[in-house]
Amino acid sequence: MAHVELSFKKGNSLFHRMTPGSKLLFVLSVSFVAIFNTNLYVGAGLFLFCLLLALFCTGVPFKQYWALGKIIVPFVLILAIVFPFFYGGQATVGSDAIALRTPVKDLSWGALGFGALLGLRFLALGLAGLAFAFTTHPSDLVQNLSRHGWDYRLVHAPVLGLILFPSFLKLGQEISVTQRIRDLGQNTNWLKRKWLRVRHLAFAMLVLGLRNGQTQAMALDIRGYGAYKTRTFLREVPRHRAGEIFAWVFFVLSVIYLFMQFNPANMQWNMQF
Amino acid sequence: MGNIADLDTSRHRASRVTGETALALEAYSFWFKPQGGQPEGPAALDDVSFEVEAGSFVLILGRSGSGKSTLALNLVGIYPDYFGGRNQGLMRVRHPERGLINRRELEAAERFKLVNMLFQNPEDQIVTLTVEEEVAFALENYLFPPQEIHRRIDRALELVGLSGLRQRETLHLSGGEKQRVALAAMLALEPSVLILDEPTSNLDPAGTAEVLATIDHVRDELGLTVMVVEHEVDEVFDRVDSVLLVEDRRVVGPLSPREFIASRGLQIRDEMGLWIPQASEVGLELERAGIELGRPVPLNGPELVTGVERLGLRFSARKEPRVPSRAASEASPEPAIEVRNVSFSYGEHAVLKNVSFEARRRELLAIVGQNGSGKSTLASLFNGIASPDAGTVLVEGVPTGEYEFAHLAKRVAYIFQVPEKQFVCRTVFDEIAHGLRALGMSEARVEERAVEILESVRLLERRDASPYVLSHGQKRRLSVAAMVVGKPDVVVLDEPTFGQDFHQARNLMQLLRDLADDGAAVVFITHDMRLVAEYADRASVLCRGEIIFDGSPDELFAAREVLDRAKLKPPSVYEFSAKLIGEPVLTTAELVKRIQEAARGPRRTVV
Repeated sequence: MAHVELSFKKGNSLFHRMTPGSKLLFVLSVSFVAIFNTNLYVGAGLFLFCLLLALFCTGVPFKQYWALGKIIVPFVLILAIVFPFFYGGQATVGSDAIALRTPVKDLSWGALGFGALLGLRFLALGLAGLAFAFTTHPSDLVQNLSRHGWDYRLVHAPVLGLILFPSFLKLGQEISVTQRIRDLGQNTNWLKRKWLRVRHLAFAMLVLGLRNGQTQAMALDIRGYGAYKTRTFLREVPRHRAGEIFAWVFFVLSVIYLFMQFNPANMQWNMQF
Repeated sequence: MGNIADLDTSRHRASRVTGETALALEAYSFWFKPQGGQPEGPAALDDVSFEVEAGSFVLILGRSGSGKSTLALNLVGIYPDYFGGRNQGLMRVRHPERGLINRRELEAAERFKLVNMLFQNPEDQIVTLTVEEEVAFALENYLFPPQEIHRRIDRALELVGLSGLRQRETLHLSGGEKQRVALAAMLALEPSVLILDEPTSNLDPAGTAEVLATIDHVRDELGLTVMVVEHEVDEVFDRVDSVLLVEDRRVVGPLSPREFIASRGLQIRDEMGLWIPQASEVGLELERAGIELGRPVPLNGPELVTGVERLGLRFSARKEPRVPSRAASEASPEPAIEVRNVSFSYGEHAVLKNVSFEARRRELLAIVGQNGSGKSTLASLFNGIASPDAGTVLVEGVPTGEYEFAHLAKRVAYIFQVPEKQFVCRTVFDEIAHGLRALGMSEARVEERAVEILESVRLLERRDASPYVLSHGQKRRLSVAAMVVGKPDVVVLDEPTFGQDFHQARNLMQLLRDLADDGAAVVFITHDMRLVAEYADRASVLCRGEIIFDGSPDELFAAREVLDRAKLKPPSVYEFSAKLIGEPVLTTAELVKRIQEAARGPRRTVV
């Protein structure tokens, strides 16, 4: 297996002690608030809240977050800076067509604010997601959700995906290196070469990925995966009352906030100004 | 040769065989599921009947593509239960309470508890984050209670000698440790029969020794029936109780190893293309040359030594000094690749530390070392796949950083261990033509040259096939041919003979020899010391990121300290030839020649 960047990090922090179900509830609440919130100050507050939680309640060094953050942040910044120029709905001119024709002239504080909100939204989501991934043992997640009536095979599949994804990624990197070595798309222009390489990469990864997947499926089958509807677990995940209360309180507050600020006329996808 | 039944000096044989049948096939046949409306093909296994005794250790042999894996997957029940196909006949397995029963009487999950399988690559079957969870995975699926799971984890890890690694992350295990964890995960289920598919093929000599010793220990402790599919027979042949030969869709045996070698002789190697133990090879070659050892064919070095000693031959010291390696005699003094004080790290993990070495034209250079010693990383610096953190890599005197990548990749052909990863075209023909077109040839010339090359690697009849559907040996030949069409200055191969039978390996090494003779520098990374002894002009040993040895294979195998440090092991012929003729030789051919010479001279009186 290749290096698992998103793997569980051992620890005894507040987040580690929370049950996976509580954490999932918290992350879902953060996600809904981040996605549906239209207030810049709430967006900034949510981001800061997630940042503080990640720094002080997960026991995971910030450099672990930054290892992935440095890949994501540039994209978020580009999105936050570029998007306001082309977001017709936030422009003062009143029409998308005009806004798109004269992006710089029509740039408004509102549009910039929306760009910032967009960036903060992705950062909050990223932090909450990483905090969950770093502090949740996959097996505990399966156990916790199984106890809530979910089929363990259904829950375990994405967990397996998370564990096996790095090796799939490594395969893609190796095929990509091969394409460079073999100079695939030689004597063609840049665009055509890119197209040829993407097409070949997709095909080779499909063939080799399926083959590896077949072996892995066999390996799972012969170890009884899916042989019964339920399974036992090596160790019990203990309940953590404080964590449950925290998650439920946050969930309730999120619902109240979303309910209060819900107004179809102001929602960002409403382009009818 | 003498009576087969009168001798059994093998290390581990027969002590655990109970006489009861663990697994029996009666007139068993299997057909693959037809693809896309095609009619059903001929049986992949045809009328197979054999019995395996409980507690025995069985070696499954057969040339590449003969159906060894199909047989193994049928024994486990993956075929036809999971991947389709049709079977007929009877397969019976021993149930702890119900005795020998028809496998159809059991549910699929129960079948896997009785007969289970360890795949070739442990990474394909590690699906959790820690050793403990990996061993527990199957037990949890089979609804064992937590206390029992803990007990079985302790027991399984103790059996494979990994008790201290219970909490270790699977990601940070060595190759040998991963294989042992995968083995422990199987053992925790306490199956009656365990099938191992080339369990040592990805491992260095130390890892191989670890895994085989573990299998011995487990058999001692549990009385488990073990069936192993293996190409590298030198280490396992005198450990096993019997041999099953998969040949032409049928299964011959079980035969005792000695019976198998004696009945088929050198036909095993020459016609069937299978590897045989070096001691047996020498014994059979001597027999062919009319020198009778007066006893059954030897299976290991000590048996060969005893047999030859009975002849009372006098071995004189070598008249002339050993022929210097081609490296010293013929290789160009100008290095094609020069590595100067190179260091390389993955994050904080230093992989190469101040490494300096060179590869010369007309030379076959072997890079050897343990799993994780930095061999593949070093090779990846040669054509610019990776760049050193410090130091310089020069190709034909020019730093790799000064080359355009595509140009450098043409001068230094890097051939991956897994051939499929480097195919970029839809047909076998196009794979070759791709490299030729890069040379600016006309289409007519491309056609002509591609046909010539395909003919030389015996792939012309598959010219329109997809590269992905070829056999393993064909894929390997195609991958090498496709990379060398542009006549590169340097050819780098990662484990060139991995998973190949005797003929395929020989042909490939001959192809590399020809490339070197044509002026290329050929560098190959390997764990196979037999290959190093027989083909390498020079060997470099990497140990924990440092080159600790650079010299001829002869010098390498004499350097005990280096071997110990890098956990390498000379080929068995090197060890037993020293006892036999007073000085070690590298190949079986050389030893046979020395014995033949001695047989023509005066003899000692043997009491």
